[in-house]
Amino acid sequence: MKQKNSSYSISVIDVKKSFKLFYEKPTTLKERLVFWNKKKSDEHEVLKNINLNIKKGETVALIGTNGSGKSTLLKLMTKIIYPTTGKIITKGKLTSLLELGAGFHQDFTGRENIYFNAAIFGLTKKEIDERLDDIIEFSELGEFIDSPVRTYSSGMYMRLAFSVAINVEADILLIDEILAVGDQHFQDKCFEKLKELKNSNKTIVIVSHSLGAVKLLCDRAVWLFDGEVRMDGKTNDVIDEYLKVCG
Amino acid sequence: MVRLFQELYKYRELLKTNVKKEIRGKYKGSFLGVLWSFINPLLMTLVYAIVFPFILKNTTPHYVTYLIIGILPWNWFTTVIAQGTTSFLSNAGIIKKVYFPREIIPISVVTSGLVNFLISCLIIIVFLICSGIGFSKYIIFFPIILIAEYIVCLAAVFLTSAINVYIKDAEYIINFLITMLFYATPVLYTMDMFPARFQKILLLNPLVTIINSYRNIFFYQVMPGIKSLLVIILVGFVLLFVCYKAFKKLEKGFAEEL
Repeated sequence: MKQKNSSYSISVIDVKKSFKLFYEKPTTLKERLVFWNKKKSDEHEVLKNINLNIKKGETVALIGTNGSGKSTLLKLMTKIIYPTTGKIITKGKLTSLLELGAGFHQDFTGRENIYFNAAIFGLTKKEIDERLDDIIEFSELGEFIDSPVRTYSSGMYMRLAFSVAINVEADILLIDEILAVGDQHFQDKCFEKLKELKNSNKTIVIVSHSLGAVKLLCDRAVWLFDGEVRMDGKTNDVIDEYLKVCG
Repeated sequence: MVRLFQELYKYRELLKTNVKKEIRGKYKGSFLGVLWSFINPLLMTLVYAIVFPFILKNTTPHYVTYLIIGILPWNWFTTVIAQGTTSFLSNAGIIKKVYFPREIIPISVVTSGLVNFLISCLIIIVFLICSGIGFSKYIIFFPIILIAEYIVCLAAVFLTSAINVYIKDAEYIINFLITMLFYATPVLYTMDMFPARFQKILLLNPLVTIINSYRNIFFYQVMPGIKSLLVIILVGFVLLFVCYKAFKKLEKGFAEEL
């Protein structure tokens, strides 16, 4: 189980993650001192012993009902949170699209925000300069690129954020339920771009409830149920089984 | 440790844009913009320069210049601690959604403070010229004092920023401690107003040596206490290491606690 194969992009080894459920979370010192001996929390195990290996170049969908641990697993892969036990090894540059425009600064222009946002993904100035035109073109913002982002409509905001993230050219792309960006035209474009990334041997992990899109894009699906891998295999097989149980 | 520098190098653009954001974003939308970096300490100095000669009776000659050389480095320290302590709360949005080395945030707060301080050093130059004090060769020790203060600030911010994520009261406790520290540091007064025994206790505060050193090179134009500066840098590095280790431990829970 613990062999290290260099062809794996992401290895999830015996990962458990539990969150503390607080009834009343002590945030101030007073509360911490006064209630120090009251056990006000329960452990909630979100992920129970997950083992998963994702090869380089694979496009994998994580599916499952709400609360099954999909997003938690994705957050663990990005190293935003850390597993309670076990470990996760990722190889190569990793970009996550958990929420679009997380690093945007409202008062700065779209162009400046491209720099901020791409820098958060670990790009250098030179790399951003090279991609700047592609990003602006992809976002279709035109002259609005030099207006402050606070003046943007929510659609424009999302388009800009998606354009930055998709053009970072990471080896691993983690996407959480954001395939529904903008209007139909832009959605189609994003979809095409994802396909293009897939064909250029990038590893992609998608959390999604839009099974139609998942079927078209992914070769492999992992069904998480109650913090455990219920089924792992060809997308169509897993989705058929999933719909039988949950549909 | 090597990993840290590799990561920082990889994310150097983020560090740069973050520092820029801290400096430019701070005053964005305000009418006078970056000029506030000058106006603020000047106004503070003005108030003290009016009030304190009444309280202290006999102040040093060129008291205003004496004041400004103490206030500017002190400002660097306090703004950095205040900003740094709440830095993760104000950046909660990105912390929860994107991975990047978390060290970037405290480091960019302290670094933007340094840049701000260097800009405001123009004021010191203007005052030194106008008061006729001028400059001395001892100015070459300036970078050493900068390093000492930078390390002290960074170590403190690593610790306070991480603690404040878990205990929100820390901010208020720290604010109070800083105010107390202000009066225990010879920003407004001179050290020799105290008996020698008392001075020794004051000297335990690294900021006392740091501010005295700035005064030595700019105001008194004598050799700064190199030995005590080196001790601060050395002890500072050890503290920095300890605080950084604690930061690394606490950082894993940031996304969940915020």
